[in-house]
Amino acid sequence: MEVFINLLVNGVSTGLLIFLLAAGLTLIFGLMSVLNFAHGGLFVWGAFSGAWIFTETNSFLLAIAGAILIGMGLGWVMERFLIRPVYGNHVRQLLITLGGMLILSESIKIFWGPNPIRVNMPGWLEGSYQFDGIIIIKYRVFVIVIGLLLYLALWLLLRHTQIGLMIRAGVMDKEMVQALGINVKGLFTFVFLLGAALAALGGALLAPYSGVVFAEMGMQYAILAFIVVIIGGMGSLQGSALASLIVGVAGAFAAYFMPDLSLALNMLLLVIVLLVKPTGLLGEKGSAV
Amino acid sequence: MRGLFHKVPMYWGLAIVLFMLLFPFVNDSRSTLILLTQIFIFAIFAMSFDILLGYTGIVSFGHCMFFGIGAYSTAIIFNQLEANLLTFMIGLVIGIALSVLVSYIIGLLSLRLKSHFYAMLTLAVSQLFLVLAEKWRGVTHGGDGFTFSVPDLFKDRTSFYYITLLSVAVVFILLKLFTESSTGKVLKAISQNEHRAEALGYKTLHYKLIASVTAGVAASFSGALYAVSLRFINTNVFSIEVTLDALLMTMIGGLGTLAGAIAGAGIIEFLRHYLSELAMAYPIFERWTIILGFLYIVVLLGFPSGLAGFIKKLTLKKKRKVKKKEELKKIA
Repeated sequence: MEVFINLLVNGVSTGLLIFLLAAGLTLIFGLMSVLNFAHGGLFVWGAFSGAWIFTETNSFLLAIAGAILIGMGLGWVMERFLIRPVYGNHVRQLLITLGGMLILSESIKIFWGPNPIRVNMPGWLEGSYQFDGIIIIKYRVFVIVIGLLLYLALWLLLRHTQIGLMIRAGVMDKEMVQALGINVKGLFTFVFLLGAALAALGGALLAPYSGVVFAEMGMQYAILAFIVVIIGGMGSLQGSALASLIVGVAGAFAAYFMPDLSLALNMLLLVIVLLVKPTGLLGEKGSAV
Repeated sequence: MRGLFHKVPMYWGLAIVLFMLLFPFVNDSRSTLILLTQIFIFAIFAMSFDILLGYTGIVSFGHCMFFGIGAYSTAIIFNQLEANLLTFMIGLVIGIALSVLVSYIIGLLSLRLKSHFYAMLTLAVSQLFLVLAEKWRGVTHGGDGFTFSVPDLFKDRTSFYYITLLSVAVVFILLKLFTESSTGKVLKAISQNEHRAEALGYKTLHYKLIASVTAGVAASFSGALYAVSLRFINTNVFSIEVTLDALLMTMIGGLGTLAGAIAGAGIIEFLRHYLSELAMAYPIFERWTIILGFLYIVVLLGFPSGLAGFIKKLTLKKKRKVKKKEELKKIA
């Protein structure tokens, strides 16, 4: 029982971190069918800049804010100079965002060196709660709370605001929205910056969680996020949330019971979903084939 | 065959091959020979990627897996059995058979999906191979890798140089024949407009499978040569950097022209060699990969047809100028 609850908490918190990455990916894809291979680069930049600001200033909130700002800045540059010029050409988009990923993760090594960096936990989040012998690490609870709050905020944004309405309409039928006189490009920039901010935040939250950050981390988590986005259904926020939890929890249990199979398990999930329902669990657009 | 020599500037190709054949007599510096050998090996790898991206329009981000499969098959055979030409052949055949199997299964599962999904899936599967190589320590020795001895014929740098040169030439001719064949024409049609090709009655999935299996086989062959050239292997052969290398080489050299892939391999390997030499003097060049990354993006944005396209454009312009002059003369 104790193990079960611990694994569940681990899985949910990891899942919500992946969700932060996947949310941006899925919205960006849903709106403009751009698959951003450089998204993991924003994530790893968030992790490193967050860790760096935290060790310099010793303020975790400042670290998170700084990471988000840096992530958004990089996201803006990426959208403006990499994605806009190849707009509408899928093959070149894929190729150029992978190049962006290469530059982002290599530049990490220029600023912080090629070796992994240790990150400390902020003091007020250290330690753990105990209930009847069940130990739950405080920071994981913190990540779960933040993740759920962000999911709620995103849901509210999409469901109950003007801009959310436009985004949802854009995901459904971009041309129609454009024809109605809404600036879809501006909307896309907004969504892209939002996605970049979420990815950087995810990275900044992950850094103390895993205790160590390294440049290749971006690709690893990006692959997880891709798997989540496909399983959940491209363009569906709820789908991504659900799939993140599935992948996170399944990963935590697999890592405990059969550690060698954890990545293989995700791949298996992916293959099953692609074979049975290529549009993903909650995808509606039928855009996979 | 006629088509082959018609389209390729044959004299140039022959001149380059002749020059390369004579090169070891002119300059027998070990490091240059090793560099050139490396270029030949990566030229094969880049050509195999070009079949996918350039000729068929398939974006695969996991091409390193075939390179790695070929490299590991040869290395493991040499390590477990003894190193002679027979075991080399066995390793080669095993690597190629595995590559055929893997590329066929992946293709069957995912080639009907849109390009994004295929790119993602191949990336994920190649990472799976990386994990497999790291975890299966009993055979692969994990991330540390292992050294092994190679047949005497391959030990001599000069003879291995000729073997790789011959391999590039043979693979180039075979792949050129493949792309000029009727299958190759269908592939070209798929890259331009898949729906139209399908509407014309071609089973596009079938043709895309052929392309991906062909590319997998060639990549596996280059991987085997790579393992032999290093006499050492570790999990790096499955890393995303290997795929990026293939991408850089084909993009910079020019998509859809096998010769461009060879040129791209030469450019990238030369750059890598000299930039890492520069890094010893100026530490800023230690991160030379980022320079390649910027070069890649500049090429993608500015010269989408690469070096080959640039040269083609130049020669076209010249021809046009000559024509204009002739016309002007006629009028005068």
